Amino acid sequence: MRAWKAVVLVDLALLFAALGGWAAWQRSQTTAALAARTVTFGGPEQEWTDVAGLVRAVVPELGIVVLTHADIPGYMPGMTMGFKLADVEIPRALSVGDTVRFSLRGSPPLVTITALEKVP
Amino acid sequence: MSGLGLALRWLHLAATVALLGGAVALLIAGPSDRPTALAWQRRVSGLARWLLLVAVLAGAGVLAHQTVVLEGRAEAALDPRALLRVATQTQSGLVWLVRLGLLLVAGLFAAGRLRVADRADWLALHGQTAALTVLALALAAAGGHAAAAEPSPLTAMAVDALHLATAGLWAGALPALSLLLASAARPDGADARPYAVLAIRAFSRWALAMVLVVAVSGVLNTLAHVRDVAGLIGTPYGRLLLVKITVFALALALAAANRRRLTALGATAERGRAAMARLAVGVRVEALLILAILGVVAALGVTPPARHEQAAWPFSFRFTTTALLSAAPDARWPVLIGSQLAVAGAVVLLCTLFVRRWRLPLAAGAVVLLLTGAAMGLAPLAVDAYPTTFHRPTVPYTVTSIASGAAIYAERCVACHGRGGGGDGPAAATLPKPPADLRAPHTSDHTAGDLFWWVSHGIPRGAMPGFADVLDEEQRWDVINFVRLLGAVEGARWLGPSVDPGRPWLAAPDFSYAVAPAPARSLRDYRGSRHVLLVLYTLPASRARLAQLAQAYQLLTTVGVEVIAVPTDAEPDAIRRLGPDVRALFPIVTEGAADIVAVYRRFDAAPHVEHLVDKNGYVRARWSTHGETARDVNLLLAEVQELNEEKVVAPPADEHVH
Repeated sequence: MRAWKAVVLVDLALLFAALGGWAAWQRSQTTAALAARTVTFGGPEQEWTDVAGLVRAVVPELGIVVLTHADIPGYMPGMTMGFKLADVEIPRALSVGDTVRFSLRGSPPLVTITALEKVP
Repeated sequence: MSGLGLALRWLHLAATVALLGGAVALLIAGPSDRPTALAWQRRVSGLARWLLLVAVLAGAGVLAHQTVVLEGRAEAALDPRALLRVATQTQSGLVWLVRLGLLLVAGLFAAGRLRVADRADWLALHGQTAALTVLALALAAAGGHAAAAEPSPLTAMAVDALHLATAGLWAGALPALSLLLASAARPDGADARPYAVLAIRAFSRWALAMVLVVAVSGVLNTLAHVRDVAGLIGTPYGRLLLVKITVFALALALAAANRRRLTALGATAERGRAAMARLAVGVRVEALLILAILGVVAALGVTPPARHEQAAWPFSFRFTTTALLSAAPDARWPVLIGSQLAVAGAVVLLCTLFVRRWRLPLAAGAVVLLLTGAAMGLAPLAVDAYPTTFHRPTVPYTVTSIASGAAIYAERCVACHGRGGGGDGPAAATLPKPPADLRAPHTSDHTAGDLFWWVSHGIPRGAMPGFADVLDEEQRWDVINFVRLLGAVEGARWLGPSVDPGRPWLAAPDFSYAVAPAPARSLRDYRGSRHVLLVLYTLPASRARLAQLAQAYQLLTTVGVEVIAVPTDAEPDAIRRLGPDVRALFPIVTEGAADIVAVYRRFDAAPHVEHLVDKNGYVRARWSTHGETARDVNLLLAEVQELNEEKVVAPPADEHVH
C-alpha cells in the first residue's frame, strides 16, 4: 500500500474514534447532570421512618410544622423546612425547641408526615 | 523497587523523545538521493524500530510497576486483571493506555512495509511518525502532576503538554543529527556534506524557536508546582528542578557554542570537514546532557511537587522588604543607593559584551560595582531565618484550634507574655529582655514558620524557652493561631458597623456548627455563595433584634445573606429558650457554640454583637450594643448592598496564618 494512503486511512480512523469517544463521554456527562437536577413528580411512593427533627415553628392553622431535620437518605440532606401533616393531629403539647422523631410518606416532592412523636 | 520504576520511566521518556526527534530530523533534512544521506536515513528508520520497541516495553513496564505500587504486592505485575484495573480505572493508567496505543499505531508505520514511491509518501510517513509520537509525548501531561495542579488543572496540563512537545521536537533531533554530521564528516561522506550543512542550518533556526517555547512553558510549569523561592531550594522537587535548570543552561551554552561553529562549515573542504567532525561531537555531548535532563524529568514525575511539601530553609537569613517599612525606615536609603549601584553594575556588565577595548577592566569594575551594590542594598533587608521559616501551618485557622491555643497560652505563656499578649505578664519584669508585644503589627513581619520555630525551640537571646518537648506539633500551631488572633483583635478594634468598600483584610476564623439534628456545617461552606451575618446574642435583651432578623430573614436570604445566631451562653437548649414568638428559622447554633463565642467575643465582648462576613471569608463590619438591640434592618441591607456591588474580588481569606 502507498504510504500516504495508509496515513490518511489511519488518521481518519483515529479521528473518528476520538470524536466518537468524546461524544459518548459528553452524553454520559449530560445524562448524569440532568438526572441529578430533575425533579420528577409522580414517582413511586416511598416511606422514611424514624427521622430525627427539632421543632422550629408550629403553624396549626395550616397544619404545618417547621423542622430542622437530619439527613433523609435518598431524598434530601438535613435542613430546616416546613412539613404538612397528613391526618395526624399536631400534638397539643408540641412547642418550639422540642426534639421529635417523625415518619414521612409520599412520592417526592409531595410528602407528608404520617407520624410524629416527641422525644423526651 | 522505586529505582526500577524510575529507570523504566527514564528509558521510556528517552526512547520516545529520540523516536520523535528521528522523524523530525528526517523531515528537517528532507529527502535526498546522495548515497551517504540515504544510508543515514535508513539508519535512522532502522533505529526508530528499536526505539519504538523500547518505548512501548518500558512504558508497559511503568504501568506494571504502577500496578505493583497501587496493589501493594509484587505478583500484581503479572496479574492481567490487576493490570487492566489500573489501566482503565485510574486517570494515569488510562493516559498510559492511550499513549502506548498511539505508539503502537506509530509502530505500524515504522515497520517499513509501506511503499514509498514519491516525496508525498516520504513526507506522509515521517510526518505521521512525528505526529503520533509528539501526541503520545504531550499526552503524558494529562497523567502527571499538572493534572492535579491548582487552581486550573486544564491550563497547567496545556502548558505542560506544550513543554513536553516542544522539548521533544527540539532535543529529540539531536542524536539523529549528530549521526548525520558524523557520517558526513567521514572522508567518504563528502557527497552528503552540503545536505548535512543545510540540515543543520535549518535545525538551528527550528531549535531557537522551540527552545524559546520550552523556556517559557518551563517557567510557567515551575510557577504551577513551586510556590516560592523556599520551595525551590528547600524541597526535593525544587532541588531537582534546580539541577534540571542548571543542566539545561549548560546544554544551551553548548548549543550556542555549536551554533558558532556553523559558520566554519562553509570554509574550504578540508577545514569544513574538520569543523563538521567537531560539531558532531558537540551535538552528541548536547544530546547526552538532554539525556541527563530526561533522567531528572523522570525523577520529578515521581516526586511530590514543592507546593505540597514543607520547605526546609537551608540558610540562617532571608531577605524581606516588609520588615523594612515598619521596623527600620532609616534603612531605606542604603537599599535605594545599593540597588542603583547594582543596576549600574549590571548595565556596565551588559555593555562589555558589545565593546572590545578595555573589556576586561571594564567587566571587573562592573562586577565590583554589582557586588558592592548588592551587599549594600541587601544587608538591611536580611532578617534571621530558621529551617521552619517557610513552613505552612498544618492546622487551619479555626475557632477550635484558636480556643485550644488559648488554653495552652493561658497555661504556659501568660506568665511572661501577659493575658492580652502585650508582654506584660507578672514574670516579664524578671527577664533580661522584655517579651515582644504579640499584638503589634510587626508580628506580621515574621512568618508563621518563624513563630513555629520560636515556640518549638525558644529564643536563646531572650529567655524564651522551647516547647518542642512538651507540646506536639498540632498544639504549637494552635498557639500560633491564637497569636494571630491576638494581632487580629488589636487591628480590628476600630472595625465599625459600616463596610469599607473594596478593602477586606480581617479573615474570619472558620468554625463548624450544627443545629442538631441537622448535620454540621462550617462557615467555609458559604465561601463564594453567601455573606454571613454572625449574631452573638444574649437573652433577653437580644430577643427584639432576633425577632427583627426573623421577620427579615426571607429578604436577607434573597439578597444573599445567611444568618447564623449563636447564644453567648452556648446553651444547647437555645431554640426552646428563644420561644415560639420569635419564629426564627435561621440556624441557631446548638452545637459548637462554645468555641465560636470564646473566640469571637475577643473581638467585642458586648452582649449583642453582629459580625458581617463577606462571601470571601472576611469580616467586613461589626455592630454591637450593650442596650437596646432593635435596629433598622435597612441599615444592614445597605451594607449588604455595598458588598454585593463591590467589584474588587479579593483572594479568598487564607485559612492559614501567613
